Amino acid sequence: MRDARKEYGHVRALQGASLTLHRGEILALVGDNGAGKSTLLKSLCGAVRLDSGLIEIDGQPVDLSSIETAKDLGIEAVYQDLSLAPDLTVADNVFLGREIVYQGIRGRLGMLDRPTMATESNEALQALGINLKSVSISVERLSGGQRQAVAIARAVRWATVAILLDEPTAALGTRQTRIVLDTIRNAAARGLGVLIISHDMPRMLELADRIIVLRHGRDVAQYRAGETSINQIVGAMLGETVQA
Amino acid sequence: MTVNESTIADETDEDEAPAQSRWAPWRANTALWVFLIDIVVILIFGALSPDHVFFNSQNLTNIALDSAAITLLAAGVAVLLGAGELDISIGANIILSSVIGGKVMFAAAGGSEENFGVFTDLPKGIALGVVTTLVCGALFGLVNGLIVTKMKVNSFITTLGTLGIGTGAALVITGGGNVQGIPFEFQEGYGINTWAGIPIPFIVSLVLIAIIWWLVNKTKFGIHGLAIGSSREAARRAGIKIERNVLVLFVMVGFVAGIAAVLDLARFTSTNVGGHETDALAAIAGAVIGGTALFGGKASITGAFFGSLLAVILLTGLVILGFPPYFQSITIGVVLIIAVFVRARSWALRNQT
Repeated sequence: MRDARKEYGHVRALQGASLTLHRGEILALVGDNGAGKSTLLKSLCGAVRLDSGLIEIDGQPVDLSSIETAKDLGIEAVYQDLSLAPDLTVADNVFLGREIVYQGIRGRLGMLDRPTMATESNEALQALGINLKSVSISVERLSGGQRQAVAIARAVRWATVAILLDEPTAALGTRQTRIVLDTIRNAAARGLGVLIISHDMPRMLELADRIIVLRHGRDVAQYRAGETSINQIVGAMLGETVQA
Repeated sequence: MTVNESTIADETDEDEAPAQSRWAPWRANTALWVFLIDIVVILIFGALSPDHVFFNSQNLTNIALDSAAITLLAAGVAVLLGAGELDISIGANIILSSVIGGKVMFAAAGGSEENFGVFTDLPKGIALGVVTTLVCGALFGLVNGLIVTKMKVNSFITTLGTLGIGTGAALVITGGGNVQGIPFEFQEGYGINTWAGIPIPFIVSLVLIAIIWWLVNKTKFGIHGLAIGSSREAARRAGIKIERNVLVLFVMVGFVAGIAAVLDLARFTSTNVGGHETDALAAIAGAVIGGTALFGGKASITGAFFGSLLAVILLTGLVILGFPPYFQSITIGVVLIIAVFVRARSWALRNQT
């Protein structure tokens, strides 16, 4: 993504932000409130259209005009909440909007092939090290961490390029957060680019490969996770002298 | 590739519901509970009624015929509730559809005021009347659905509006009375006809309820509806066509009301413009007693069937025992509140951590 710009009326949410996300890499996007993180993420998952700027996948310019287009191009987003339908089962959620139907007449009537959906959901969860007792229990019976892990597993199941996560560990306890962080690591290990927005600086230092700081809609600094400190990042966020 | 197994497995044991016996899924099955209550109530009425007349086949046939419309309506409403929408206009739909369909049937069959009960073109008239009634029902639902999805008016308000419009329009057409003189042949052939002792309208309802059950539980369409009711935002993000799904559901409920309207004509050889004021609420009560969530996400078709059947059983039984029929509505009111209360409590207990 290069030189992304987006204005909402007089609010300039993005004023020339650029970033590169590599496959297999976890990239954390940090910044103060209003720095443009959410707008940037939304523009990458097709929910918001940029006023100007260029988005490329593998060097090819793409037009992410809608969430569906972004999905077709292999980009999946995981939202802070509201990602899953709590009353539906885990398997139905993994396949929500992309259900598998039987072959032939039953399929034309829209009849779900639940056995195959269950098997494939299980595989998708196992691949990320998530062990649930059953994929046919409803999501509302899972813990917060498990729910988020299922949401990530669904994104990974369908993504071919990247997954985007908005505050994936907000409102989760320590143990629940661990589930989610492990799931994210496993997702990156499968060769997807992972972009995370988070306020949780210590965890991002532990989890991410690289950290990009946004300020006033621009990328102002980037660090390798092992070579920086919270103080340095917070300094960049607040606009103090940057010694990168 | 390194896959991090970590501690997720340990976590599951702690987080999921406590160890369950193999009866647990049955305990949580509201439809089963309501079915058992139905059975118990039937046994009580059978035991208490003079000479156990409650058990006699004529009475059971009556119960089946009386419940043909309401069980189907409850099943239809359950699906709509599952998607987080409400339709309180189904009674008005039944009235309007039966009035229009009845007029068409009477005219197309060649009926006249002078020669009461004489029809020159019976098969054509009945067929045309039935089709008109069903189309009217579906169109009524389509209008509801279009107002809800295109004009974005809340479905309670929408159907509160069309409830008044539909009832009023029907009474304008009839001048306040009923459409009468529907062919007796239609009554004999369908309305009061039986097959192996079971009223045919009840069989029609059972077949349609089975189809609705299949749609909800086994198809993409059904899952999408429940997803919309469970979390509209999640459904939207998953690319589900929410408007189309909701529109189809309203048409479906309208069609089901059309079936009930046809049954009115066939059973009474007349419309019943005064008899449907409480249909919508009775259907909602039956669905909710049976385990359907009022605000979406869960729809139990078998529960709606047994829940609405309970109302019919109670009415019949109380009348046989000599109570005024008003006691039925009192009982259903109490059952509804208790059912919702018990379910809310068991949920709270289950989700305690």
